[in-house]
Amino acid sequence: MRAAALILCLCLAAASAVVPAAATEVVAEPPSNLNVTVYRAPYRNSGSISLDSLNGFALITETRLVRLPAGVTRVRFEGVADGIEPSSAIITGLPGKVIEKNRDARLLSPAALVASAVGKPVELLRSNRKTGALQRSSGTILSDAGGGVVFKTEEGIEALRCSGLPETFSFEPLADLSARPTLSVEVQAPSAVTQEVTLSYLARGFDWAADYTATLSQNGQHLDLGAWVTLANSNGVGFPGAHVQVVAGKVNRENGEVEPVDIGGPILAQCWPRGSTSDQPMVLRRESMDRIMFKKSLAAPAPAAMSLREAVVASAQKVQQEQLGDLKLYRVPERTTLASRQSKQVRLMDQSGVPVDAIYGADLATAYRGSESTATAHRLLRTKNTIANHLGLPLPSGQVAVFDSYNGEQLLEHESGLRDTAVDEDVEIDMGGSSDVQVSVTPEEIRVDSAQATLLPPLPGVSLRSVKVDEVRRVEVSNARAAAIEFELRLSLPEGARVVRADHPLGAKNGRPIFRFKVPANQTVAVRFQTQGIGDGILRTP
Amino acid sequence: MRVRLLCIGWVASLLVNPAGAAERALSVTIYNDNLALVQDRRDIEVKDGRQRIEFADVSAEIRPETVSLSAADISIVEQNFDFDLLTPAKLMEKAVGQEVTIVRVNPATGAETREQAQVLATNGGVILKIGQRIEVLRDDGLPVRVIFNKVPDNLRARPTLSVSIVGTHAGTRRATLSYLTPGLGWKADYVALYNESDGKIDVQGWVTLTNSSGTTYDNAQTLLVAGSPSQVDGNFQPNNYRPPVRRQTLQQPGTESGSRERLGDYYLYPLAERTTIANLQTKQVSFLDVHGVPAEHGYEFRNHWLGTAETPQSAQSIYSFSTSSHAGLADQLPAGTLRFYMKDKRGDPQFIGESRIDHTPMGSTLSLATGDAFDVKVHAIVDKRTRLSTFDWQTEMRYELTNALPRTVVVKLRQDGLWGDSSVKAESQKSTRLNAEAAEWSVPVPANGKATVTATFETRY
Repeated sequence: MRAAALILCLCLAAASAVVPAAATEVVAEPPSNLNVTVYRAPYRNSGSISLDSLNGFALITETRLVRLPAGVTRVRFEGVADGIEPSSAIITGLPGKVIEKNRDARLLSPAALVASAVGKPVELLRSNRKTGALQRSSGTILSDAGGGVVFKTEEGIEALRCSGLPETFSFEPLADLSARPTLSVEVQAPSAVTQEVTLSYLARGFDWAADYTATLSQNGQHLDLGAWVTLANSNGVGFPGAHVQVVAGKVNRENGEVEPVDIGGPILAQCWPRGSTSDQPMVLRRESMDRIMFKKSLAAPAPAAMSLREAVVASAQKVQQEQLGDLKLYRVPERTTLASRQSKQVRLMDQSGVPVDAIYGADLATAYRGSESTATAHRLLRTKNTIANHLGLPLPSGQVAVFDSYNGEQLLEHESGLRDTAVDEDVEIDMGGSSDVQVSVTPEEIRVDSAQATLLPPLPGVSLRSVKVDEVRRVEVSNARAAAIEFELRLSLPEGARVVRADHPLGAKNGRPIFRFKVPANQTVAVRFQTQGIGDGILRTP
Repeated sequence: MRVRLLCIGWVASLLVNPAGAAERALSVTIYNDNLALVQDRRDIEVKDGRQRIEFADVSAEIRPETVSLSAADISIVEQNFDFDLLTPAKLMEKAVGQEVTIVRVNPATGAETREQAQVLATNGGVILKIGQRIEVLRDDGLPVRVIFNKVPDNLRARPTLSVSIVGTHAGTRRATLSYLTPGLGWKADYVALYNESDGKIDVQGWVTLTNSSGTTYDNAQTLLVAGSPSQVDGNFQPNNYRPPVRRQTLQQPGTESGSRERLGDYYLYPLAERTTIANLQTKQVSFLDVHGVPAEHGYEFRNHWLGTAETPQSAQSIYSFSTSSHAGLADQLPAGTLRFYMKDKRGDPQFIGESRIDHTPMGSTLSLATGDAFDVKVHAIVDKRTRLSTFDWQTEMRYELTNALPRTVVVKLRQDGLWGDSSVKAESQKSTRLNAEAAEWSVPVPANGKATVTATFETRY
């Protein structure tokens, strides 16, 4: 009787469970022949990468061995990078027809366990603090809504961890949660086969930059320019023995929506209000909640700091550059391991004896009339990216640290950014403001030519007046340095205005007037110029 | 004997919930704009007279106002959507005025003492009335279990839909529940491999489905609709934000009809087999695979009005191809992202940029930007601005183009923003006036060389 009932029970259970067309599951072998190409964050300015926010990405290509039986199989590729963009995944080499590919974003975590167990039988474990005796009772989780857990046992309904007793659940095995980020492919193979399959996908959480160190020669007329490729991976997955490349240039990324992902969380056993008579009266109290902050814990020192003190070194291994469409690809020559949460540096270049011109310059905005003002001049190092200048190779965007020698030691003088620079382009390194070279502006004369004013009467009682305005300014550039300097004074004039007279020769740069002159050591040079513009004014006639 | 009793009890509990996991056929129609129509056919057990049927496993993001239930011989009294969730705090709050059992646990011996208590209030802390005394629950910090007799009627683990109906006769019948839900969406993802030597692309298209609706749709028949039916958003706040003008990717809209199925003006992409769309899953199914389509590679630079730069700016790298049935992809393309790849020197495909495309009819010409060209740059300079009269300006522009590639390239140089009555008074080479507001020059730049274009504009307004 008992046996018959049991069989009936099992039959019912089997019939009532909805089982979709069963596909056998196969786990692909761990990846081999890894290939990682790192792209820089498309909208990051020049400068170093920040390990706290690696907003670039990488193309990861890997080969895995798959053993397929005949028929419909679900192949699981476990341990892909956590930053995977599943919609970019490409799988080649699978025999037969790919039915679909899936990425399940639900990872095995305490919160996911409870969520999947809602409505299902679980075992409640309660320990006696005194004796340590474990009491097991079966029950059902009724709800995990709102961060609290309500369950039911034979005794009645209770809430988890509200009693002050140590209590937890023991779950039945669950199949649909995976421990690591997993991509799966449903495939129909005509016959059983063992095959090498290539999987490639884009993943977030990478970045790279070029880090340049420029060392000025004694006379300040030459630079030794060395550079590192600094790349970093903030994914929880490492890439051992990989071919690593970086790509320079800006590629388009559509800042599209990211596919939903559940990074997992703890069981939030929130309870009913638990105020006691000893609590201070308060208006509002926030329930304390132990949330795991998903922050990349990167305790490693910044890689730029590592390269900072390094003089030019002759390194055994340099990246090799090749053209990739309209981009530049740099290949690390040997296989290397890009571990999880790691930054890595490989030598990019070592160029010595690059001639540079040191120039002081100031931008003078004269848009606002009148008022005396002073400005600090900037020192600039200028050269051209040519073979004759010991360069002539693409310079990917990055940060330049300029070193100068003092008592035989290399000291950091300034850091600035460098944009993507193609061959034959001008290179300009900003060395920052110099307090030794000061620029002061004095308006000397402002004249309005009322005789030539034009009057427009747009409304009764109101006139629009257009008039020529002549202004004379004196700019003094003082040099407190013990050597003569080359100076560039660039003007930014209001729309339509122009320089009509000047006591120094006038040139133009990028459409703006510029004076180029020498300032001798410990002297001041004055430049006077007259600008003419058109001023508009509204007059109200009584 | 006890086993049988338990078993019967379990079977009975299945029957109590008539809309449970019996024979069920799901079909899901997914639109582009985060919207799906779910049709859920299942057998329901209907009694004679008035009753309530619960549908627990519907989308957690269901739009309850769109629910409709249809079955033979029933009439609907009302539909309810309960979203009051079962949490410990709610459970205690609803127990105010009611009896609960408290179990005090002696921390020294572990001995349990049971008492009946009445919940008086839950404001900040739980106040209990035990016998004739008032106590604050766990005020002394010692362990006290609280056991409730039942779960209040409308508290649930997940938002639940219930329908009250009147059945005209008892029996099992097929019912169809249909509703709209956000949280399900799809887009297309394309992979284009560009072959530099013969200027051809291989294109694969995948539909990418995402489900963040909180529910898994088992074994569902799935239909994807390339289009977004207008959704009147009740919370829409008109504002003045206008997105920046995007580069036009559709150069020439197509006029060819494909063989794909349509619904009204939308194209339909049915999935060949039933599939399970799990919660938080991204699923991809192939729909396009074309090889050897001719593609053109070029450069484009757009200068905005009075755009002047301190340093040269990169031109954009452009790939264009046709979706025509002659020398094209021979299909209409649902909106999505097209990713370009190119083989490096070792023969490995490398990513070279991506671009969004809109729904594109067959026979169109697409022109997609993949990113900045490292070696092809344009330096645009406003050389001179002269005021001719109060509302009349003359602008002299200079464009210096450089090419560090070992081959000649042609850059489409475009000056935008010619607003008002603008005319080109002088130019170093002939321009094409694309429209009233833009002029374009096609500039060949020699290998490792330079080219300069100058133009004088006169603007009246």
